[in-house]
Amino acid sequence: MSNNKKVNIFLLIIAVVLFIFLPRFLSGYWVRVITTIFMYAVIAQGMNIMSGYMGYLPFGNAMFFGIGAYVTAIGMSKGLPFLVVVPLAAIIAILFSILLGIPVLRLRGHYFAIATIGMSAAILSVVQNATEITGGAMGTTLPIIDKAPGITYNYFYLAMLGLMVITTLSLHFIIKSRFGFGIRSIKANEEAANSMGINTTYHKVVAWAISAFFTSIAGALYAYWMSFIAPDEVFDVMIAVNTIVIMLIGGAGSILGPIIGAFIIELFTEVAWSAFLEYHLAVLGIIIIIIVFFVPKGVTGTIGDFVKRRKLRVEKKVSI
Amino acid sequence: MGLQMLINAILLGGLYALMGIGFSLQWGISGIINLSYGAMVILGSYISLEFFNFFHIDPFISMIMSGAILFVIGAIIYRGLLQPFLKGGIVFTLILTFAVRLIVENIILKVWSADYRTIRLTYAGSNFQFGDAYVPLTKFLTFITAGILIYLTYLFMMNTKTGKGIQAVALDKEGAQAVGMDVEKMYMINFALGTALAGLTGSLWASIYAFSPHLLGPIVGKVFVIAILGGLGNIWGAAAGGLLLGFAETAGASFLGSQWQEAIGMVIMVSVLLWRPYGLMGKKFFS
Repeated sequence: MSNNKKVNIFLLIIAVVLFIFLPRFLSGYWVRVITTIFMYAVIAQGMNIMSGYMGYLPFGNAMFFGIGAYVTAIGMSKGLPFLVVVPLAAIIAILFSILLGIPVLRLRGHYFAIATIGMSAAILSVVQNATEITGGAMGTTLPIIDKAPGITYNYFYLAMLGLMVITTLSLHFIIKSRFGFGIRSIKANEEAANSMGINTTYHKVVAWAISAFFTSIAGALYAYWMSFIAPDEVFDVMIAVNTIVIMLIGGAGSILGPIIGAFIIELFTEVAWSAFLEYHLAVLGIIIIIIVFFVPKGVTGTIGDFVKRRKLRVEKKVSI
Repeated sequence: MGLQMLINAILLGGLYALMGIGFSLQWGISGIINLSYGAMVILGSYISLEFFNFFHIDPFISMIMSGAILFVIGAIIYRGLLQPFLKGGIVFTLILTFAVRLIVENIILKVWSADYRTIRLTYAGSNFQFGDAYVPLTKFLTFITAGILIYLTYLFMMNTKTGKGIQAVALDKEGAQAVGMDVEKMYMINFALGTALAGLTGSLWASIYAFSPHLLGPIVGKVFVIAILGGLGNIWGAAAGGLLLGFAETAGASFLGSQWQEAIGMVIMVSVLLWRPYGLMGKKFFS
């Protein structure tokens, strides 16, 4: 077993190294596409810890992405350096998640999902109307990095890759920890978890804060990368919808699921955009329906089932 | 000024009340949060537009057609898409209804484009005076029609065998099954009734306001607020919620500015969710 684990770690390191050197062989367009994939993988991990592991669906999680992006934009327009603004963005997002989470995480199921949509829409309205601070509905610009576009895109590629690796590793260790078992017990049965002495409120709030932390950093990087953001773009419900689809196709509640899902969905969307420009909404809708009908457990879940069945078959043969 | 505002709020609230009931029934009884509800409402508007352009049928008459068409569409969506995944949890129904919304949105964009459309009725400009306030005739007719439709829905739920069946299923699914009711059929009729009400609202909407695919999102936001204010699956609750939202939006628009309309609704909704999650008029055990 430990041998198997070593092989897995080795393969993952090779994959990361390959991704580091990949931009040398790709055009600028594909570098940007893959950076977007990394970004969505990070946001989907934030969705995964809440929905996949804890069973709470934060449909309005895009608000943390937007908060991260807007704190970065406002901070940098005040002249702060990027490396100071990013922790600030993360802290503000965590504060929001704790302040909103303590009352809202008492709600279950549908009600929690709807309350987060409501809060996201309310924050969007505030950002759109506080024109003096945020630039209003027209959006706002960030300072552009004074280097050739190819080089800056490579920087953001590596930054997003690093963020994705860090997010995935931290989530892996969180899930394996005592805290992670607490989270998963909430999904299995919240009342039982509570009566076993798990402080469910604390677990839920901290899990949402972790989700907000990674999502907001993705937002901060996105804002600096695009150097222009508009409120209805960074607070878009579609970001949450995309991440839910990514999580579903990759496999909810598995650590590599969101990354696999992000690659599949984003590459597919890219093809859909170029092949059926006028029908890309309908194509996305049909893809969602097909995924839900045929691979409801996602890629990792389906492969896991396959492996299990195979093991059972082998064991049967041995016993005969 | 005060009277005019009150009348505007009531006229707006009547339409919201009708709009919210379908959504509230779908959520409260069939257990589905229908994110495609806005698409269904606007589809009703476009159906009325086509009937008006080709046959010069008044939206107040063609609403019967759009209600019927959307009843069938709702039944198909429920049987074909949603029913197999009801046990799978909220992720599936939310994402599936959103997929339906995307497909319908694409069809609308392709067929009618993203422009705002209106139906120009010959009597659209006429109004009558009530005290020192003016009441536009079309808005008044819409309000009356919405009231009649709400009452008919109530009568259907209370007096027909199907309506009583739906109520029985909502109260106790296993019990209803045990006495030999076709539970899935009741859920399907209820869901289809909800989309039919969406279509009727769309036709009424088309007779007074302009409509375009941009409204899909905001409408879903409004019906969320209405349904939660009233308590899920509660007809009179949703009607009251609609009127209340009409008041809140009208008052908010004149005191804070119309750009805050959406935020006002959302803040009301989140506060109600936190303090009275079973709705202002709902009973505790129902939630």
